[in-house]
Formats: sequence, structure tokens, C-alpha cells
Amino acid sequence: MATSPKTVSTSAPRKSLARKIWQTAASIKTGVVLLILVVVFAAAGTVILQRPMTEPDDMQRAYSPQALRFLDATGMTDVFHAWWFLGLMVLVSLCIIAASIERFPNSWRYYSRPYKYPDSSFRRALHPQKTIPIPDEETGLVSAERALNSLGFKPERVIREDHFAIFAERHRISEMAVYIVHASLLLIFFGWIVDGVYGWRGYIRLDEGQTSNLVELRDGGTRPMPFSIRCDSAGQENYKDGTPKKWWSKLAIVDNGQDVKAKEIVVNDPLIYNSVRFYQSSYGENGKVDKLILTATPNASFNSAGPGAPPPVPAQPKLIAFTVGDTADLDADTTVRFAEFFTDYAVRDGQVYKRSNEMGSPAAHLVVTSKASGKSFDVWFPPLEEVADNSKAPYLLEPKDLKLGHFTGLQVSHEPGQWGVWTGVVLLGVGLAFVFYVIHMRFWAVPVRDEKTGQLVLWVGGSANRNRDAFEQRFDVLISAIDKDLKPVSSIAPSEPIAAAVR
Amino acid sequence: MSQVNTEQRPQPATTGTTLIVFVGLGIAFLLFLAFLNVVKSGNLLSESNLLFAALIFYAGAGALYLGFGVTGIESYVKAASLATWVGLLANTGAIAHRWYDAGHPPFASVYEMLLSFVWTLAVLTLIAEKKYHVKVIGTVTMPVAIVGVVLMQLLRTDVHPLVPALQSTWLHVHVTLAMLAYAACALSFALAMMFLIQDNMKTETFLAATSIGTIGIYLSIVLTRFEKWGGLSLIAWDSEHKQEVFLSKGVRLFVTIPDLGWLMLLALLVVAAPLVLYALAQSKKNASLLAIANRAVFISILLQIMTLAMFLLRASNGSYPSLDADGLFATSLAASPFILAGLVGGIFMSLLYLLLLWRRPDLERLLPDANTLDRITYKTICIAFPLLTLMIAAGAYWANQTWGSYWNWDPKETWAAITWLVYAGYLHMRITRGWRGRRAAYFAILGFGVVMFTFFGVTYLLPGLHAYA
Repeated sequence: MATSPKTVSTSAPRKSLARKIWQTAASIKTGVVLLILVVVFAAAGTVILQRPMTEPDDMQRAYSPQALRFLDATGMTDVFHAWWFLGLMVLVSLCIIAASIERFPNSWRYYSRPYKYPDSSFRRALHPQKTIPIPDEETGLVSAERALNSLGFKPERVIREDHFAIFAERHRISEMAVYIVHASLLLIFFGWIVDGVYGWRGYIRLDEGQTSNLVELRDGGTRPMPFSIRCDSAGQENYKDGTPKKWWSKLAIVDNGQDVKAKEIVVNDPLIYNSVRFYQSSYGENGKVDKLILTATPNASFNSAGPGAPPPVPAQPKLIAFTVGDTADLDADTTVRFAEFFTDYAVRDGQVYKRSNEMGSPAAHLVVTSKASGKSFDVWFPPLEEVADNSKAPYLLEPKDLKLGHFTGLQVSHEPGQWGVWTGVVLLGVGLAFVFYVIHMRFWAVPVRDEKTGQLVLWVGGSANRNRDAFEQRFDVLISAIDKDLKPVSSIAPSEPIAAAVR
Repeated sequence: MSQVNTEQRPQPATTGTTLIVFVGLGIAFLLFLAFLNVVKSGNLLSESNLLFAALIFYAGAGALYLGFGVTGIESYVKAASLATWVGLLANTGAIAHRWYDAGHPPFASVYEMLLSFVWTLAVLTLIAEKKYHVKVIGTVTMPVAIVGVVLMQLLRTDVHPLVPALQSTWLHVHVTLAMLAYAACALSFALAMMFLIQDNMKTETFLAATSIGTIGIYLSIVLTRFEKWGGLSLIAWDSEHKQEVFLSKGVRLFVTIPDLGWLMLLALLVVAAPLVLYALAQSKKNASLLAIANRAVFISILLQIMTLAMFLLRASNGSYPSLDADGLFATSLAASPFILAGLVGGIFMSLLYLLLLWRRPDLERLLPDANTLDRITYKTICIAFPLLTLMIAAGAYWANQTWGSYWNWDPKETWAAITWLVYAGYLHMRITRGWRGRRAAYFAILGFGVVMFTFFGVTYLLPGLHAYA
């Protein structure tokens, strides 16, 4: 089985270097050392702050400049994407491969050519074993066969020279289970590496109604997709206490100018198209106006038409709903235009400035224009005395509601190696089930002469590759079944009561 | 709660019923207190009452198990087993209540996970006792359960509805597997401890290790937090926003609790005493010094419990001055998870050492032989390992549904993988290298240590996506 590198170098000094490297790679010691390294570096990666998740400011606050330079240079600030960590994983894979190849031929021989006839040295060493006196060879063999049958085994007769022996086994596949486990781990690694090389992850931010095919990648670059995605609407539902219950987006895929797929996605339920997956990731106000609703009432104190004009009719306030850039008629002569919208404004020297793109204190700029006089009046919500006097306009405008537009944030990922990972996981589950819960059990029975007394006995032995204490109980059941079968030699049909007794 | 356990240690049990009567009276008294509380609030079967009842009975069971360790009186074990059953019943009630209130299985926060973890642990304890006849397994698992329930009292949280990322069937699959796996790991740890007791190992080395471990804890507390005139600095806590108080970006505000620093210093000296005595015993080859050292460990436990009690009382109430800012500020246990974990860990470590000392013939009689224990430990890990694997796989699948990637190297994931690797290492050493007995037992204990770090340490110490638990 495992040969340590030391014994190789002493027993065969002329063995090639390649052979030595191979032996080292296949040894359990190397495997354990590599696993310890993986554990140590992975643990370090959870303790040391990692880029790019941590802001550069926080990094600088946490570590001194020298320490940070050192950590950056060694890749300790991004352990899981460092080349040496990947290298370590590749080494672990190679070690698993080497160890499996080194041990496989032995196991395969064991598996493909089961050991059926127990020779004397094997009989001496095996545990558990037992001898039962028998009147003649055939009776003993038949009893063993019946007992094994009653335990649910299919015994076969093995011929060696002039001797017969009985051999029965179950779950031989268990011997190969560990290779299934190792192969599945390799498959998972393989899928993971494929994803690392060919996969990509990014983010798309879409306003309601917007279409885009550009993905912002994590490293700051962008990646065009061969198709576009459109967000028709997005929203949030809350629990009674105000915590979010659900975020949803209605998405459509546009390929070659046509809608080819549409789906309402929620967290935990992505849209998949051409193996690119779109996940609901964030949601919020996009700082754009969906609708401003206001009422306009003719201004009684306004006197633009000059003296002699009919006094303004005390008209009903007019309801207007529009968005930035739109113009609405107030009457035949007067219009109102939604000129500007600030998400966060500041006033300095009679001028309005944009303070930030975040939603802070919003302001709307409207312009009321009279065609006849050609005069324009600025109106601001909220009223800004230093900038314009709202009451000078021919209409008194009053805001009723401001509906803001929303954006939906989508995580986008393309992971071509996924199939490997999931197949590997399923295989791993199956393999582990076989490793731990499926036991390879073998029984042998052979009539021999007792060395001391010279009496004819049936030698019965058994072997299991794991869970030996439970197996020994089973072995005892077999022995008592054979005993019972042998005792009433004269009885006619002994197999049925035995089967009942065994059960 | 450990207080209950240890105070009963020095009392020599004159008859077999002494401790049972004591514990019975203790339980009755606490239940009476609970009853008064029930009368006041007018609600008998509230979740907190059920949890409190579970705590009382688990503590009673723990005291009886430990009492058995001291006296070897078998009727204690039966009474302890009964108390565990009653505690489990109350625990089940608490879970049912929580489930009903929240409308989802109790898996959504650390508090809820602990609730399920303690429940699973109690169930497995009873299984190990009935099926494998490891009658005193509760000596180790019950203190773990008690620590869990006490932590739950500190963590009390309101019922929150599930945030969108948690609304998935995979949540239940993932967490159920995690709880089963972790409870199985806890059981393997307890079995490994039992093995060490049964295996007649030398306790002196453990004396030194325990002492060094506790010295490390108190030394780091004293070195980093001791202030002038015997104060102890703790991070101030803003209870309204449930966060630490910052002076400026990245600079935390520390408050000083007077006199607590002296207590920590005293505790440091007392926990160092066993090591000094051990060193003396080794150099003078005087075995009687070792007996004194063992007694010193016992005294250090009493002092450690007192220190913890003082810390709990003073940190959770009152306002304290700060060296960096004017005025009085409150602090909270939540602001000092390291110190709290250190204090609890120190007590636990010392208690485990005491456990090793109870190597008595009658205790051994109630345990299966060392080989059997070794095999059962291995079997438990054979159950825990596939569960761990499936737990990680379910988590990865769920992460793929939610975050768009099956593996993010988030600290919780990474530590789950490390736990998996440690147990994989155990299995390889055992199967291919034939590691049995003590080395395997140490490995099982190490594995559980990593599990505990993954469960608590990562949640409180390392930030990440896995913020729910």
C-alpha cells in the first residue's frame, strides 16, 4: 500500500527522481501536510481583512503601511484568489490523483479477483473464525450453504484440487467506494477551476423600462453580452413591521430585437438564459422622477394681461401629472414645463446646486410660460425665496405627490463548470454512503482435519471491511445456524426452521 | 449555572439520596420562583417560561451527572436521565412555541439555532445513554446544553419574519443538517472525553495544559483591558442602535468599569497557581504537591465563576465613565464577546479537567470499556461527516440560488470547509494510518473545537454574508 519516500530511497537507490516524486506525492504524509497548509491559509484568509470586500480606507486603518505592503505583496489580502492558493489546491488534487493511482491496482485486483479459497496461513490469521465438527465433508458444505442462503447470501462452491470450499460475499463495491469519493472531489475541483477560468460574475443595474447588455465586472471592467435584458418593473413588499419580505423584478430577455424570454424573478429564484443567470440582488430608488403630481390654481393677484383684462375666474384647481422634460398646458396661453429635478440640492448665491446623487433633500424646478407675453416664471418645490418667488407666476402650483422611479440590481453570473460541481456533489454523497454504510462482507467455509485431534471439522471464517463488532454478531448467527442445521441430521426439511430462527 | 454544579462538589454525599434531595429542592425552589413569575405575568406556557424550565432541569441533570462523577452513586444517573427527559420536554415546548409564533421553523437567528442545537444535543444524549449504554455522557453534554441555554438568555431576540434571502426550502435542509451534524460532533467530543477517562491516562499533563490555557485567557484580558486603579475597559454599547459606540470612524469608545480589573488580576494569579505547583511537583518529584495543585484548580473554578458573575452583573447594568470622553456610558455583554467567551471557556476547560480526575472504579463500571468507547466515537464521526458534507452541499446549492455563486469564501463557508477537512483528516489517519485510542480522541476533541468556532466564533468575530447565524 503506502510506501513512504524513505523506504524507497534506501531499498532502491537507483530509482529515478520521477519515481521518488511520485511516491512522495502519493504518500498520506504529503496529503496531510497539504491539507494542513490549506487549513492554515484558509483560516488566515478569514482573519486578515480581504480585498475587494473591504474598503481601501478600512484596510489602511487596520494595518500599518509596511504590514499592508507585505500582505498585498504576498497575496494575503486576497488569499482565495492568490495564485499560490490555487496552486495549493492543484497540488491537493495531484496528491489525491497520485494516491488513488498508487493504491488503485491493489484494490482493483482485490475487487476483480475475489479471494475465494482460504489457504492455511489465511485460515490461521483470520478473525472471526470457528470450527464445527462434521460427520463428512458434503454434509458440512450443504449445511453451510443452507445457513448462508437463509442469511440472504448466495454461496458458491469453489474447487481447489480435490477439495471443495464455500464462498459467499456481499457488497464488494464497497471496496471501490473510496475511489468514488476521491473522483467526486476531483470533479468538484475541476468544475471550480473551469468556473475560475471561463466563468465570470458581475452586476447590472436597470431602471424600470431600461434595457442593457453591459455587465459591470468585479474588477471594474465591463462585459457585453450577446443579448440584452430589460426590466419592465420592480418592487418590494414589506412585512407589517416594515422589514422587507420580498423583492421582485419583471425581466425580459431581448435577443436579436425580439423578446425571447420573460420571468418575474425574486430572491432565490433567478432567470437563466444561455447559461447566464440573473439574480435579484438589490432594489431602490434611482433618483429619477416617475411622476410629479401637482395642482394648478389661477393666481388671483397675478395681473399680466394688464388693466382692463377680465378678472380671473375662480377656477377649479387643475390636476397635472408629468415627469422631467414634459410640458403641460395650463390654459390656452400658459404652459408649465418640468425643467429640472435635484435629488439633493443646496442654494448658494441665489443659485441651486446639486449636492449629491443620493436621495437627500430633493427639489423640483418648474417653468411657467405665457406665450402671449413671452414671459417665463420659475417655480420651485420646495419654495426657494432666494431663487424665485413662486407667487409671481400666473398660476399657483401646489405639489401633491412625487413618485420616484426604481432600479433593480441584478447579480449576473456565468458558471460553465457548475455541472462538474453538482455532479461531483451527488457522486460524493453516493460515495460517502458506500464508504460508511455499505459493508463488504465475506464468508468462507471449508472442511478440514483438525491438526490436533485429526477430526473432520468445518472451518468457517468471516471478514468485513468496517463495522466489525456488528459483523461479529452476524457471524455468530451464521455459526449457530450451521450448528442447528447439522444437529438434526436425520430431519427431513431443516432449512425452514433455520430460516425462522435466523430471522 | 455551572455554579450549581460545582458548589455541590465538595459536599460529601452521606447517603445516596443527598444530592438528589438537594437538586430536587433546588429545582423546586427555582420552579417556585418561576411560578411566582407566571402568576405575575398570567401566562404559564410562554416561550421564556418553557426555556427557563428547560434550563432548570438541564442544570439539575448536569448537577446529578457531575455528582455521580464525584460520589459514584448510581441512583444519581437515573435521576439525571429523568431530569434530562423533563428538560427535553420543556425544550420541545419552547421550540413548538417559537415555531408557532414565528410561522417558520426556528432556524433563522443564532438564538433560534441554539434552541434547535440544544434540543438535538439532549436527544442524542438520551440516545447514547439508552442505545450505547454510555450512561454518564450527560456529564459533558449537559454543561454544553446549559451554556447554550444561558447564551440564549443573553441573546433573547424578538421573532423576526424571514428576510427574502432566507425564504427557501434549502434553509430548512441546510440548517437541519447543520444541527444534526454539529450535535453529532458534540456527542463524539463527549465520547472522546469519556474515552480519556476510561483510558487511564496521566492527568498531570492536562493539569499543565488547562492551567496554561486559563492563564492565556486571563493574561490577555489583563494585558489589553486593565486600566489604572484597577479598572477594566470595555467597549461602550449603544443599546438603542444595538452597536458599538464610535468616537470617530474606526475609533471605538471604551468605558472603564472600576475594580473589575483587580478581580481579573486576582483570577490570573489563582489560575496560575496550579501551573506553579505542577512545576514544583515536577522539579521536586513530590506527588503530594500535585494533589494540592488539583485543589487549586477547584478553587480557581470558584473564583472564575465569581469573576464571570461579577462581569455579567456589572457589564449588563449601569453606566461607567470613560477616559476619552465626558459623561457616563453604558456597555453590554454584546460589546465584549471575546471576554465573555474567554471567561466561559476558561470555566469549561477547568471543569473538563476536573472530569478527568474522577477516574473511579464505579464510574468505569458504568462506562463501556475503552475500546468500545473508541469505536462509538468513530461511529459517531462516521455519522457526523456525511451530514457535514451534505450540509455544506445544501448550503452551496442555496448560495447559488441566492447570491449567484456556490462558493464565496465567506468566513462561515471557509470555516465549514475547515471543519470538514479536520474530520476528513481524522478519518484518513484512522483508516489508513490506524490511529486509535488517545490520538484519535484528541483529534475528535479538536474537531469539536473547530465546530464550536465555526458556530459561534465566526458569527461574532468574523464578518460576512452569513450574517443571520
